[in-house]
Amino acid sequence: MRLSIPRFWRKRFDYYSVRISECLDCGRRFYPRRSICPYCRSRNVRVIPSKGIGEVLTYTISYYRLEGYEEVIPKIIALIKLVEGPVLIGELVDVDISEVREGLKVEAVLRRLKSEDPAGLIYYGIKFRPTVG
Amino acid sequence: MSSNNVYVIASSMVRVSRYFSKSYKDLVIDVVNELSSSVGSIDIDYLIVSNVFSDSILEQLDISTILAQELGLTPKPTLRVETGESSGLTAITQGYSLIKSGIADTVLVVGVEKCSEFPTPTMNKHFIKFSDYEVESIYGLSIVNEVALLMKMYMRKYGYGRDDLSSWSVKMHSNALKNPYAQLRFLITKEQVVRSQVVSDPIRLLDMYPVGDGASAILLSNRGDIVDNEVLEIVEIAQATSQPLNLREDLLSLPATRTVFNKLLSKSKLDLNDVIIEVHDSYSILGYLIIEELGLVERGRAPSIIDDLDNVNLSGGLKARGHPIGATGVYQVAEVFKIMTTGLGGIRRDSCWGLIHNMSAVDNNSVGVLVRRCSC
Repeated sequence: MRLSIPRFWRKRFDYYSVRISECLDCGRRFYPRRSICPYCRSRNVRVIPSKGIGEVLTYTISYYRLEGYEEVIPKIIALIKLVEGPVLIGELVDVDISEVREGLKVEAVLRRLKSEDPAGLIYYGIKFRPTVG
Repeated sequence: MSSNNVYVIASSMVRVSRYFSKSYKDLVIDVVNELSSSVGSIDIDYLIVSNVFSDSILEQLDISTILAQELGLTPKPTLRVETGESSGLTAITQGYSLIKSGIADTVLVVGVEKCSEFPTPTMNKHFIKFSDYEVESIYGLSIVNEVALLMKMYMRKYGYGRDDLSSWSVKMHSNALKNPYAQLRFLITKEQVVRSQVVSDPIRLLDMYPVGDGASAILLSNRGDIVDNEVLEIVEIAQATSQPLNLREDLLSLPATRTVFNKLLSKSKLDLNDVIIEVHDSYSILGYLIIEELGLVERGRAPSIIDDLDNVNLSGGLKARGHPIGATGVYQVAEVFKIMTTGLGGIRRDSCWGLIHNMSAVDNNSVGVLVRRCSC
């Protein structure tokens, strides 16, 4: 699918870093960032940056073929719990399938999501790799 | 004589399949012609079309008007309904609402989808649109990945091995043998399920729905007496939404589905074992979770009762009847109508109640309809 450039650009900070929200009324934190709390509907919500560090709750090795996302197959897709609390689904990179396990510590890293035809744009976003060091 | 009740008075379908030689219009004409020949000449007030991918695949918007023109139904008003994979049952709730509100007496609901116009990887990029594009799909994440994560959590929580979860698919294929409209009419074994191609571990090809085209139609009316055959009354409808998987307190719950079942069953004291039930088993693990939400079996126990279950997805379910996305909910009602009245191929039951459940993605939204046989 061809992406709209303005649509991607206006959300660039969400794609180039991990941003979560915290509800100042019910205290819950969640991903993705939103202006209305999904738990209590409060508008009293602030965006907080995440360290982008978390651990793998569970994962799947995906062979699902998706037009435009076929550069890497299989993909490792994981349910990740960030140290700040929220849970998200993300792709793991820089790791052998044999080394992936539940509880693996991971960190966010900027990676190519997809590129359009040879002269087209390259889109970047957040993936996760095992914590270095 | 018209009433304030809403009845399903007729239904028709084509077999779910890959129709390379037929267009979406051909399929709709086939089901509407069959409907007309079964009920004779009946005036309709409204045409509702359930279709998801018309603009993605067919380069067509306002598909309900285009179909009204093709069917010679002009100047009748039309409406296209789209709520992802649950569009079919949502369309039926919209027809119900039009009749209940007095805007229409008789509504024709058509579900149609062409999923075999392009190769599977191309279709897959449309199938993932049921999730939030800006949050998940843009990363190349697919619904099957979410379901795989769910399946692993279920296996770990309740101590199941991969083999233990294969019986749903085996049962659905066995049911589909008797349904002339089912896409996959052949038996499979548990061994074949666990040896089939890995899609997203632990999900294998035979754990999920096949890709196919389909069209189905039902006639809703506030007059149950204008046809000779038995009819069903729609007793209750329910719709609900929920937050995506990663925002749920309990990752193994289906919150929208639970809300829908609670509403459907709140007024009627039903013994679920006597109800003809159709649920949205796009993936076998979702089939298990749905019947647990329904209360048919306690949590974590669904895989152990499947072999003995003889009132759930008699059609073969999405797994074996197939899942022509926007048409599926209409198929489910069309099948239950036939099972409880005139017979669906070799399947006929005298049950008084039918419960149909249709949902989108991993319970992003869920729709339910409760029907009762009028002669009960």
